[in-house]
Amino acid sequence: MTLAVTQAPVDARALDAVLTCIGRFGLAKTTIDDIAREAGCSRATLYRYFDGKPEIVRRAVAAERERVAGLVVDAGRSAPTFADAVVAVVVTAARELRNHDALQFLLAHEPEAVLGHLAFGPGDRVLIAVGDAMAPAFDRWLSPADATRAGDWLARVVRSYVLMPHPPIDFTDPSTARAFLEQLVIPGLEGSR
Amino acid sequence: MDESRRRVLEGAYECIARRGMAKTTVDDVAAASGVSRATIYRLFPGGKEELLRDTVGWEMDRFFLRLGEELGDAADFPEFLERALPLARRELREHAVLQKVLETEPDRLNALITVQQHRVIGAIAAYFLPLLERDRAAGHIGADADLAACAEYVARLSLSLISSPGRHDLGDPAEVQRLVRRELLGGVWADA
Repeated sequence: MTLAVTQAPVDARALDAVLTCIGRFGLAKTTIDDIAREAGCSRATLYRYFDGKPEIVRRAVAAERERVAGLVVDAGRSAPTFADAVVAVVVTAARELRNHDALQFLLAHEPEAVLGHLAFGPGDRVLIAVGDAMAPAFDRWLSPADATRAGDWLARVVRSYVLMPHPPIDFTDPSTARAFLEQLVIPGLEGSR
Repeated sequence: MDESRRRVLEGAYECIARRGMAKTTVDDVAAASGVSRATIYRLFPGGKEELLRDTVGWEMDRFFLRLGEELGDAADFPEFLERALPLARRELREHAVLQKVLETEPDRLNALITVQQHRVIGAIAAYFLPLLERDRAAGHIGADADLAACAEYVARLSLSLISSPGRHDLGDPAEVQRLVRRELLGGVWADA
């Protein structure tokens, strides 16, 4: 009985711990021992749940992607108009990514750890997955095909303006984001409404 | 561009094509370009890393120059983009050196390309701006539109499409037309 209660938390704690460690020392320098210490368990316990560091990292990334997608979709769905939904989606995504210690540490100090997954061929897969995940934010206003297109396009906008170096615009600020999106982006997404 | 600088960049490009980025040394580049080590360090004080970065930037500039030459006769900006996107995508896929480096040393190239990205975007946006100004003079774009912001937006998203088209097929003219006239220019081009 106690096992059933304690099992899930170790697993979840390890996923939180690896993000904390990456935010502090980066991916290359984070060891299984660091993760175990941060999660408050032993190395041996971690190996009962995961094959090793790469698997912990992989599952932490998947969990973060799902968490952020959930927040972004909720922000879009609770907006009163399509334009408000686009602004809410972009601002929520920008804030989550900008305030993400692990992601920001990697972009600043180990960019190759992140960018290999975002550029060229792997970027295709990420854009398709993120576009699909974001589509439900817009299904009150757009057909399923157009909602997916909108999700895909906003994923590109966020990738270019939030994740790449030297962003010219601060999308974490709602009024800045709204002025930009209303002028350049939203008219192109509602063409077939 | 300074003649010896151009020779060094050409030499470095040849070395990368032959051996990849990791194995290329300043000595190799000196031998391939016929320029001394000392001159290379004077031109590129950051040594090998700076040389690699500038070689990537130089090849990207050549790539966009070729595109510009092919598309100089486009009637307006939407037509320019409709022809440029499939052409750029094809050039990228058929670029032997780029594809080789992507296969053997993707991390190195990705890091270089993103460090370079603002430079590339600046160059593409500067190329787009007069085309947008011409369309505004012809009455296709409102007088109050921020053309610099628009040029940068179209540059960023065009680069996104040609490097990772994702679900979009840039070989399909109807799909490209839709991307150009809706997603890319729907906000500025009045009759897009």
